[in-house]
Amino acid sequence: MLISNHPDDERLSALASRESDPATDAALTAHVSSCVRCTGLVDELGALRAALAELPDLAPHRPLRLLPPVDDAPASAADRLGGWVRRFFAPVIASGAALALVGTIGTAAPALSGMAAGGAAPSADERVTLQEVEPQASAADVVGAPAAATAGPAEGATADSAERASPLSTEAAAAAEGDSDPSAFDYADADDRLLGPNAERSPWPMVLFAGVALMVGALLLRWILVPRVG
Amino acid sequence: MADVPETTPTHRTLPLPDEAAVIARAATGDRTAFAQLMEHYQRACYGLAWRLLSDPDQAADATQDAFIHAYRAIGSYRGGIFRSWLLRITANASYDILRRAQRRPSSPLPDPEEGAPELPDLGAVNPEREATKGELYRHLEVALKRLPVDQRTAVVLCDVYGMDYNEVAAMTQSALGTVKSRIHRGRLRLRELMSEHRELFTG
Repeated sequence: MLISNHPDDERLSALASRESDPATDAALTAHVSSCVRCTGLVDELGALRAALAELPDLAPHRPLRLLPPVDDAPASAADRLGGWVRRFFAPVIASGAALALVGTIGTAAPALSGMAAGGAAPSADERVTLQEVEPQASAADVVGAPAAATAGPAEGATADSAERASPLSTEAAAAAEGDSDPSAFDYADADDRLLGPNAERSPWPMVLFAGVALMVGALLLRWILVPRVG
Repeated sequence: MADVPETTPTHRTLPLPDEAAVIARAATGDRTAFAQLMEHYQRACYGLAWRLLSDPDQAADATQDAFIHAYRAIGSYRGGIFRSWLLRITANASYDILRRAQRRPSSPLPDPEEGAPELPDLGAVNPEREATKGELYRHLEVALKRLPVDQRTAVVLCDVYGMDYNEVAAMTQSALGTVKSRIHRGRLRLRELMSEHRELFTG
């Protein structure tokens, strides 16, 4: 029987490779079984698939190397980790050294500039700072008397210097009341006395520390994970 | 001598007699055992690579790459048909080369009539029948090379090497529906290209 309303050829190809579900494709199967054209197409596609599945293996046109070089032996997990460490060792050491160098320069620069400026006459700002800090410090550390509580503002300094002086004054007052041992020196507050409580800590020592830590860590990892020859 | 059954792929590499033992030795780093496996299966791998790439040099490169991948991965081989495992690696290596080549469209398309490797000697068992088979295979190879790359890849992996649709979809990073459509369109196009030689495969 010849039918004009044929199913799509791709569906017939699916039927030829038996990928269709007979339950859902009952109409398709019924059509194919009664249609000469579609039966022929499905059979032909099936024969084509069978021929494709028989295509022979082929000889290479040139000899192939059957083995990779000896260096390329299968790597264990430890070897792979060692490989990563070896690969990143130089960049990490270089980064650590760079950080340490920057940290060293950053840490040493203020001291060096201070030494360089030591022989020269202090600038106007430096003179003001010295005038502000020195009397207050001497008042607090040496005298420790109630009179020192008003030492800062009494020296006629600026409002800013009055602010910086206030912790010293408070401490002096506390010392006067006998709450603390006058012989004990509070090192934690020493920086505040010299720099003021609002002064920022320098980041350069931390950079120096991070650089050194990076280098030490890389050296340790390499020593542990990378196998040594001999 | 008895005739080979129609359904047997007569010229496909069969497993080695002691394959499991050879694989086990290769997995522990025995290079001789690994070389034995690759030598045995190199024709299977090269055939797949050549059919996907249509270029003898690229096919040899892909096969070589596949051997290196297999060498690195054989420690994690977990059984199954070794030939299928190796062919999957070869298909991936070939597809990588194919993708790189597609990014450089300046390279000329190979002539489908040229560069076909020599088919194995098919006349040992039944000269007349095998001569017909040889002719069919040659026409099929030429027709396969004339298919668009996407359709050829899908037909070769699925119909020639028996991979399932999901595997082909994963390998070509395509949707399952796209792969099915490529296979069906490829088969229909192949049928058209083989129309002059229909008697070779329907007889």
